[in-house]
Amino acid sequence: MIGLTHYLVISAALFSLGIMCVLTRKNAVSVLMGIELILNSANLNLVAFSRFTSGNLDGQVFAVFTIIVAAAEVAVALAIVLSMYRMLRSVNLDRADTLKG
Amino acid sequence: MDPKIIADLHKFYPEIVITGTFLLVIVADLVFGRLRRAVTFALTVLGLAAAFALTLPLFGAAPGTMFSDMVALDPMALFFKAFLILASLLVVLAAPGSRELSGSGLGEFYALLLGVTLGMILLASSTDLLMLFLSLEMVSVGSYIMVGYLRNDRQSNEASLKYLLFGAVSTGVMLYGITLLFGVTGSTKLIVIRHALAGAATPGENSLILLVSTLFILAGLGFKIAAVPFHFWCPDVYTGAPTPVTAFLSVAPKAAGFAILVRFFFTGLSQAGQGLTWITFASINWMPIVMVLSIVTMTFGNIAALRQENMKRLLAYSSIAHAGYILMGAVVLTSDGLQAVLVYLITYLFMNLGAFMIVIEIYNRTGSFELKDYRGFYRRSPFLSVSMSVFLLSLMGIPPLAGFFGKLYVFAAAVNRDLAWFAVIGALNSVVAVYYYARVMKTMVIDGGDETSPVHASWDSTALIWVMLIPTVGLMLFWDQVQKITSGSVGLFLGN
Amino acid sequence: MNANLVSQILFYFFAVLTVGSAAVVVFSRSLIYSIFGLLFTFFGVAALYVFLGADFLAATQMVIYVGGVLVLLLFGVMLTHKLYNLDLKTETFQFVPALLLIVAVFGVLLLAMTRATWFSGGVRPPEPTTAEIGKMFMREYILPFEVASVFLLIALIGAAMIVRRRAQ
Repeated sequence: MIGLTHYLVISAALFSLGIMCVLTRKNAVSVLMGIELILNSANLNLVAFSRFTSGNLDGQVFAVFTIIVAAAEVAVALAIVLSMYRMLRSVNLDRADTLKG
Repeated sequence: MDPKIIADLHKFYPEIVITGTFLLVIVADLVFGRLRRAVTFALTVLGLAAAFALTLPLFGAAPGTMFSDMVALDPMALFFKAFLILASLLVVLAAPGSRELSGSGLGEFYALLLGVTLGMILLASSTDLLMLFLSLEMVSVGSYIMVGYLRNDRQSNEASLKYLLFGAVSTGVMLYGITLLFGVTGSTKLIVIRHALAGAATPGENSLILLVSTLFILAGLGFKIAAVPFHFWCPDVYTGAPTPVTAFLSVAPKAAGFAILVRFFFTGLSQAGQGLTWITFASINWMPIVMVLSIVTMTFGNIAALRQENMKRLLAYSSIAHAGYILMGAVVLTSDGLQAVLVYLITYLFMNLGAFMIVIEIYNRTGSFELKDYRGFYRRSPFLSVSMSVFLLSLMGIPPLAGFFGKLYVFAAAVNRDLAWFAVIGALNSVVAVYYYARVMKTMVIDGGDETSPVHASWDSTALIWVMLIPTVGLMLFWDQVQKITSGSVGLFLGN
Repeated sequence: MNANLVSQILFYFFAVLTVGSAAVVVFSRSLIYSIFGLLFTFFGVAALYVFLGADFLAATQMVIYVGGVLVLLLFGVMLTHKLYNLDLKTETFQFVPALLLIVAVFGVLLLAMTRATWFSGGVRPPEPTTAEIGKMFMREYILPFEVASVFLLIALIGAAMIVRRRAQ
């Protein structure tokens, strides 16, 4: 029977892949995709817990808010990427280096 | 609608006023043609002042929660509401005088600032992890945009993008931690989480998952307060952002981050112990983790600040170091420690904003943030040089300036909890910090520069600098009141 | 029994689809493949929501992620064009340590999750959720609901402000 653990394994995999994407990618749009993977893994957790452990819809409502936040974040991020692209003609994070850490 | 919501609404006036002002400023920016600079400025100042005034009468209200336990109304929340609104107000007053912002319309800037302020006061009073996440994101997204406010400035855009990517990743990780905590305790309400952890069947149950979850959540909170190792964005963002925004970020969202950090750890992950102390649960002992975070943060911040040549970067690392000291107050888990956090934040507000005001004013006059252009500034403007020295001495923690009391309270709280070694590390760090603050003073006062033309600060910046200077120098004269306000504000609502 | 077997097969199909396409997102060298990988990940997660009895959320996932976020990302790639076959040179430098780190994170997560005793407040039967979620928005979640609207307004104004340039 499919239980909670199955969903948690999928979510852990998605989370790890998202972190991997964030760590290895240099391209701003790719990093954003990694962030989406992380947020989706968290949402999967919320819905799975809502179904199997808490017995109410709190987790699902939380997930709706996560989706709202993710969408807004992507919109702002792409606005900045576009604005930068016009200036740099590239969205490579490596090229964004006038600020040296 | 739930009658309790209507009945509670009058305790929510500050938030409502800020939301209303936010909407009005957006409309006014579009409607008023040539007058819009003045109108949006006046509206913002009035709105924030009204919100501040409406917060004060609430101090007498009985502690409790509102909107189905989403936000708390307790002395701590009210203290931070007043503090954050005041900080935003001071930044708004500084904005029109800044040359960096003068090219663009300020209406959107004020609107964003109001939105972020709303997010911050909600964040400081959140008692639900959903509210925490949502308001944290509201503060973050507003901050990303404010950092990238100079649309045609490459540094500003770069800083904004870096800030956003770091921020989105750390809040994503935090969200994952929140979901794990939800899975273990079945609730997102901090008070219910505490009860669930206290009622564990066997002590130490679930310790591994709780450790993972706490570390993940700490990533999000650490990002907000710029604690090492979540600080990577901080120097770049502080350098690239318009200086008024930098000043704002170094004080207000950081204070809001501390407010929610304290609330999360104290009402969610620990329980009241004997006297005025808290104890952690056997299943998740977060005290050593945050202690290490505090030590690493202050040490790294101070050492990295030693070799900075740009004033904004120097102040960025200095603000990282100060976050370490403030964490020290939180981690000792006593009421004294909490009070020390509040005292430190009050003093930090005035001295740090003051230092940034002078950086803004010097940039307005000379167009430079580089330390080498500060050489011999005493001969060019004695007022700016002397007041900068006062702020820097206060940041060092030299008595009798305000900063000394912040450090005194924090170290005393650590010593009282038998953590003298911790206080010693903090004191050693303060010694290191003397070097780079003194270097700036030496550059300004003793070194001779090629440029000798006098610099006259504008009347409005002078007035604002005085507003920061008076509390920095004179806070000790009103120490009774500060002591009374802060000791009265340590109360956290822990549930009925 | 037979229906149960079918649903198990379907579950594993969607699980593999989700994780597999997420791997495509991460490891593909072409940005456009990554975006298509992300499309299938979003679909897979939506399908898993259906398995979990979250019908409203599955629909929201489709509408907002697939219809909104993904289209935005595609626009981002198209408008900042010439990036389809961008060579991600510096990636190989960090690749192996990152992979090791990620395997460690995954291992710790699995260990922590299998050892954990989760909250037991009962299993929610798979019933329609939309009406109840709607009511919750207007009751317990009225404050986050309102705050989210202000939040979206901030994001909207900000995004418009950043993209709109002054005439130079």
